[in-house]
Amino acid sequence: MSVTTLLEGWSDWRHEHPINDQPHNPYKWAMSIDLDACTGCNACSVACYAENNLPVVGKEKYAHGQVMHWLRIERYWDEDGREFPDQGARFLPMMCQQCEAAPCETVCPVGATNHTPDGLNSQIYNRCIGSRYCSANCPFKVRYFNWYDYPTTDNVWPAEMNQQLNPDVTVRGKGVMEKCTFCVQRLREAESNAKSQGRVVRDGEVQTACQQVCLPGAITFGNLVDPESKVHKKWQAQQVELAKDVQAKDKEEGGSKLRGYRILEELRPYPSVMYLERVRDSAI
Amino acid sequence: MSQRHLLALFDNFDEAAAAVKELRNTSIKGFDSNKDMIMKSPIEHPEIEEVLGDKPVYVQFFTLGGALSGGLLAFFLIAGAQAVFFAQSKGGKPIVPFPPDFVLTYEMFILGGVYITILGFLICAGLPAKRSPLYSAKVSEDQIGILVKSDEGAINTLKAIFTKHQALEIQEEAGK
Amino acid sequence: MKDIREDIAWAKINKDVLHSLENPRKMFWVMLVVAIAMVGVGVGCEAYQYITGMGVANMDNPHVWGLYIASFIFWIGMSHSGTLLSAILHLMHADWRKPIYRFAEAMTTFSLMTAGLFVFVHLGRAWQVYYAIPYPNERGIWPNFQSPLLWDAMAIFTYLSSSILFLYVGMIPDLAICRDNMNPGWRKKLYTALALGWEGTDRQWRNFRVTYLTIACFLIPLAVSVHSIVASDFAMSQQPGWHITSFPPYFVAGALYSGCAAIITLFIILRYVFRFEEYMTLPILKKIVRLTFAISMVWTYLNMIEMASVWYGHDPVAKDTLLERMYGPYAPFWWSMIFCGSIVPLIMAFKRFQTNIPVMFVVSLLLNLGMWLERWMIVSPTFAHGYYPWTWDHDQWPSFVQWGIVFGSFGWFTLLFMGFCKLFPSVSMYEVKEMVYHRSLATKAAAGKLEAAGKGAH
Repeated sequence: MSVTTLLEGWSDWRHEHPINDQPHNPYKWAMSIDLDACTGCNACSVACYAENNLPVVGKEKYAHGQVMHWLRIERYWDEDGREFPDQGARFLPMMCQQCEAAPCETVCPVGATNHTPDGLNSQIYNRCIGSRYCSANCPFKVRYFNWYDYPTTDNVWPAEMNQQLNPDVTVRGKGVMEKCTFCVQRLREAESNAKSQGRVVRDGEVQTACQQVCLPGAITFGNLVDPESKVHKKWQAQQVELAKDVQAKDKEEGGSKLRGYRILEELRPYPSVMYLERVRDSAI
Repeated sequence: MSQRHLLALFDNFDEAAAAVKELRNTSIKGFDSNKDMIMKSPIEHPEIEEVLGDKPVYVQFFTLGGALSGGLLAFFLIAGAQAVFFAQSKGGKPIVPFPPDFVLTYEMFILGGVYITILGFLICAGLPAKRSPLYSAKVSEDQIGILVKSDEGAINTLKAIFTKHQALEIQEEAGK
Repeated sequence: MKDIREDIAWAKINKDVLHSLENPRKMFWVMLVVAIAMVGVGVGCEAYQYITGMGVANMDNPHVWGLYIASFIFWIGMSHSGTLLSAILHLMHADWRKPIYRFAEAMTTFSLMTAGLFVFVHLGRAWQVYYAIPYPNERGIWPNFQSPLLWDAMAIFTYLSSSILFLYVGMIPDLAICRDNMNPGWRKKLYTALALGWEGTDRQWRNFRVTYLTIACFLIPLAVSVHSIVASDFAMSQQPGWHITSFPPYFVAGALYSGCAAIITLFIILRYVFRFEEYMTLPILKKIVRLTFAISMVWTYLNMIEMASVWYGHDPVAKDTLLERMYGPYAPFWWSMIFCGSIVPLIMAFKRFQTNIPVMFVVSLLLNLGMWLERWMIVSPTFAHGYYPWTWDHDQWPSFVQWGIVFGSFGWFTLLFMGFCKLFPSVSMYEVKEMVYHRSLATKAAAGKLEAAGKGAH
C-alpha cells in the first residue's frame, strides 16, 4: 500500500456503475432468453445443477421452500376460465439477473457480493457470514441460502454421484449464500485462454451450461459490448438498452410490437438478462 | 512548621457556606483558602461556586476535541477503506459514497465525544483519587465536610470559625 | 396521593436503598433458577441450529429473515427508555425521573446486550462474525460500510459502550455510599475499586455535573440515530412494506413506547420486591403512565401515516402488501398488534387506572407484547408478499428453535437485571437527595422562611 495507490483509489472514487463514464471493456456478459422457444423442459436447470455442484435437497425440503436451484423454471397459468386451464401455461427460466445496480451488493455487511469489471455480480463464498440481507433485498429472489450442510447430509450426493462434481467449482457448506454466476468458471477459463493468445473471447467460444443444453436454443449468451455477438444483435434488434430504466420503445404510443423486455425494470437494478415475450396464440 | 488537616462536619448547607465564605474573606497566616480548602458533600451544590471562587471546568474542551477527532478519523478510515483497500463497485454506486459515510461519521463523532468526555472527566476530577487523610462516611450520607490543611499555628483560628458556624464535629489529623 | 416526603431523613434514603443490596431472600434464588432455565432452553436451541444449519429455524426462500431480526429490533427498542429518562428528561429538568432512572439505564444496557445475542444467532456463519468488525487484518479487507447492517453494528457498539459508561459514571457517587456503608468483604473491595476514591469534593462534583450534562446531550442524538439506523435495515431496502421514509421516526416512536412500557413493568416489580414505596411513588407512576400514553398515540399516528402513504401512493405492490397484513396469513397477529398497541393504551387515559397497580402491570406487559408483534409484522409479511409473484402464497411459520431462542432471551435479560439489582443500588441515592433538597428549597422559598428543614437534611 503506497501513497500512489491511495491517490489512485481516491481519484476513482466518483465513478458510478461502469456504463456511465467507464463503459465495459472488453467484456460485459449478458443473456437473452426467448420465451417463445422455451418449452419448459427443465434441461437448463438440470445442467446448472451438474455444472455448479448444486445439492439436491429432497422432496421434503423442496416443499418447505429450501430448494437450491440457481436456475428455476417458473410456471404461470392464465386464469381466464378456459376449458383446459393447463393449456395456458407459460414458462419463465429465472436466474440471477446480474444487475448493473444490484440491490444485493450495497447491503452485504461484509462485502461478500460485489460487481466485477466484466459486469457480473460476484458472490464470494468464503467472505459470506450468512446475514441474508442480500436475499432480502433481491427483487427477483434468485439468491439461495445453504440452510443445511449439504456436503455432509445423506443422499445429496450419494456414493459415486460425488464423482460427478465439477472440480472447477467450490462445494458450499452451510450458512453461505449462492446464486447463478453465468458459469463464471467457464468464463474465466475462456478469458484466460484468449488472453494468452493475445485476443478477446470470440462469440460462441464460451457457453453457459444452461445455454449449452437448451435444445430449442432459447438461451443466447455472450459479450454485450462485442458488436458481432448474437446477444448484442438481439438486444439491439429489440431496442433494449442496458442503462435505461424505461426503454424508448415502451414510451411509444400504443406500445411496442417488439418482444424484448426486462423484468422489474422500473426498480432500476439494470438487469443483464433480456426476455423475449412469448407470442401468444390469441395474438395471431 | 508541619501541616495538618482538619475536617469539619456540618449538617446545614447555609452554615457550611457561611463558614467557607468567612474562611475565604479572613486572611489567616499559614492557610491559603484557595489551595488548602476542599468542600465535600453528598449532593452537588452549584451555589458554592460563588463562595469558593473561580474554578473553571475544562471537560468541554475534551468533548470538542474528542468528537471532532472521532468524526474525522471515522470518515478517513471509511473512505480510505472504500477507496483503497476494498475498491469494488457495489450496486452501481460511487466507490466512496457520501450518504453511508455520513451516517458512520456521525456515529463515530458521538462515540469519540462520549469516550473523550469521560476521559476528560476522569482527568479533570482527578479520579481515581487518593483517599484524603481525613474522611467521614457521613459525608456520603447527609453532612457537608470542609477539609482544610494549614500550619500548626492556624489550627485554633480555624477551629474557632468552624465552631462559630455550628460544626457538628471537627476531626483532627494526629500529630506527626 | 403520597409523593416523596420533603423532610425525609437522608440517612433513611441510604439505609432503604442499601437494604436492597443485602443477601437475597429465597424468592430471588427461585427466580434466578427459572431465568437460568430459560437461558438454557435458548442455548440448547441455538446449539442445535449452530450445528445443523439455519434450516431448522424453518426459514426458506424468500422468507430469509424471521423472529431473530424481529426480536433484535424489539430489544434495541426497549433500550431507548433508559436514555429517555436519563438524558431527555434530565435536560428538561424533570425531577420525577430521579428515583427511577437508574434501573431504566440498567435496562438499556442489558437490552442492548440481549440484542447483541440476536446478531450472533441470526447469522448463517456466526463463527465468522468478526468479519464485520473494522480492524486492520491480514486479509486486507474491510467490512462494507454501505450496508445498513454494518451501520447497526457500529451504532449498537457505540450505544452499548456509551450506555455502560454513562451508567457507571452516574453511579460513582452511589458506589461511594456503598463503599462507606459495607461491611468488609468482597463487596466492599468491589465498591472501593469502582468508586475510584470518590469523596464528593467540590472539584469532583463540579466536573461531574458538566460531564453528566454533556454525555446526556450526546446520548439523545445517539439514541435517535441508533434506532433510525436499525430502521434503515428496512427503509434502505427496496422491498414493498419496508421502503418507507417514515420508518426511522416510526421505529424510534415504537422504541420509546416499548421502553416506557417496560419501565412501568419493572417499576411495579422493584417497588414491590424492594419495598421502595417511599421513592417510587404513585405520582411518579402516574407521570410515566401518562408519558407512555402520549407515546402510544404518537405510535398510532405514525402507523396510520404509513397506511395513508400507501393509499396515496398508488403503488399496487405496496397496497397489496398492506392488505396482506390485514387479511392474509398473518392477520391474527397484525390485528393483535393493533389491539395491544393502539386500543389497550387507551385505558391509561383514565385517572382511575393510572395508578392502579395490577391494571398497569398487565397493560404494560400487553403493550410490550404489541410492540414485539409489531416488529414481527414488519419483518415477515413483506417476505410473504413481495414484488415477485413466484414467491407468493407460500406460508412460513417460525419453528420451535426460533421460539426457544426468543424465549431464552427474556431469561437472559432477567438474569442480567436481577444480578444488577442485587449488586448495585437500583435507586439513585444522591439524586433522590437532590430531588428532596430542591423541593424543600422550593417550599421554603414559597413559605418565605429560611429555617432548616428536618434533621439530617440540609
